[in-house]
Amino acid sequence: MQVTYILREGFSGFKRAKLSTVAAIMTICISLLLLGSFSILVLNANSIVQSLREKVEMEAFLGDHLSPIEVSIVRDSIASLPGVREVRYISKEQAATIFKEEFGEDIHRVLDFNPLPASIKIFLSDGYKTSRGAASVYNAVKQIKGIDDVIYRKTLLEMLDRRATTFLWLIFGIGVFITISSVFLVANTIRLAIYAKRKIIKTMKLIGATRSFIRWPFVLEGLVQGLVGGCAAAGILFLVFEYLAEWISAELSDFVLIEPIYYGAIVAVGCVLGILGSAISIRRFIGTAVVHE
Amino acid sequence: MVELNDIRVSFDGQPVLNGVNFSMRAGEFVYLVGPTGAGKSSLLRLLYMDLKPEAGTVHVSGYDGATTRERDIPHLRRKIGIVFQDFKLLDDRDVYENVAFALYVTNTRRSEIKKRILHALADVGLSHKRNQMPQELSGGEQQRVVIARAIVNAPSLLLADEPTGNLDPSASAEIMELLRKINTRGTAVLMATHNYELVRRYPARIVQLKDGKLFEVELRER
Repeated sequence: MQVTYILREGFSGFKRAKLSTVAAIMTICISLLLLGSFSILVLNANSIVQSLREKVEMEAFLGDHLSPIEVSIVRDSIASLPGVREVRYISKEQAATIFKEEFGEDIHRVLDFNPLPASIKIFLSDGYKTSRGAASVYNAVKQIKGIDDVIYRKTLLEMLDRRATTFLWLIFGIGVFITISSVFLVANTIRLAIYAKRKIIKTMKLIGATRSFIRWPFVLEGLVQGLVGGCAAAGILFLVFEYLAEWISAELSDFVLIEPIYYGAIVAVGCVLGILGSAISIRRFIGTAVVHE
Repeated sequence: MVELNDIRVSFDGQPVLNGVNFSMRAGEFVYLVGPTGAGKSSLLRLLYMDLKPEAGTVHVSGYDGATTRERDIPHLRRKIGIVFQDFKLLDDRDVYENVAFALYVTNTRRSEIKKRILHALADVGLSHKRNQMPQELSGGEQQRVVIARAIVNAPSLLLADEPTGNLDPSASAEIMELLRKINTRGTAVLMATHNYELVRRYPARIVQLKDGKLFEVELRER
């Protein structure tokens, strides 16, 4: 087997069949973009659920009659409860400022007085960010004298508890679906390209080419197409997640964490897709030594 | 060189070759004639082992059809040159690369490849068209490229299946001259044709396929 021949033939596909080569590269690239963005979602799915849980905070509203000392006692009582990581006191004036930030209206002007009660924001410890954990803190806080009301996003937590597993499975399922579709799509594109060359393959057999002599240049061509498609996909994903996400929102780019090895994996998957796609497709067309069927 | 004994081949239950015996010596030129559908191509396919007979034995250039393994068939095909009516050129590469392919498969040394291709192209009078693509050539020229590819490995046997079937009379004459020239150098040629005019003009041994049987035919009988 001539290595130089395989190398030359493998690369000459780019020159001889530009259209089908570009089609194969683009298919690999698009499949990997789909696969890549989805795998980023899968890899970060847990942190997505986690970040939704982070959003759950509890707020205990204080009665207007409390003196500063009583407020301090209430605050310390809450802070000492199990499941409470941190507390922050928000005075009536601070509540008015927050209101203004959120609604753009000064509540003093609208109502001539400040109806917003002082409150204590309660941040839960990690183990308590479930509906059961939050409920236990809620019940304990409600018992404390001087607390008028306690609110938290109970339904969100209940939904997360109920749906988190389903959500993770759903993402995994879609991921599997996209993976299979990608492999199918790439194999099909490469098969069409090789199908277009079936006459050439027949002629090669007539001239006395062995199966491996016909096969290896096609496999190398598939590898190169996969490599180029993989690099393009990795490049686009890098630009999107490293720069575009940062540009859209700093929070988003902090949220999606991508290790550099991930981009290497995208390129490697591209190469494997290219090799498998061409090896599987060519097998059918090389078949036996029989030329006329 | 070639030995067929009591060959039987049928397609869809219809016998095409039935009790065919044929032999050919090294360096011989033989016409295989018969109407379309008589089984000329099937007989040639037996020789390059693209078809297995239902009965009978096939011997070609030292290969026995009964014992030759699937993976050894390419090696047999490298020893024989094959020329088709529809050329069967690799249309994704130029003339030079088409001829070169036959040498790549035999793992010929690089230094040798160039020399042999240039000789083969000179033989068929196409040295100046070595960089053309097949589609840019006339039918006669394409057939000459096929012949160059068939002879570049210096085969002992050349099989030609209606090589002039798609060509005008002058191109056909050129191809015949070429095949005769190749034959005089010692390569045996078996040419299937139904162009009796050519057979008359370039006399040689004639075998005819009729009703599944093979007969020796004298030229004057025709």
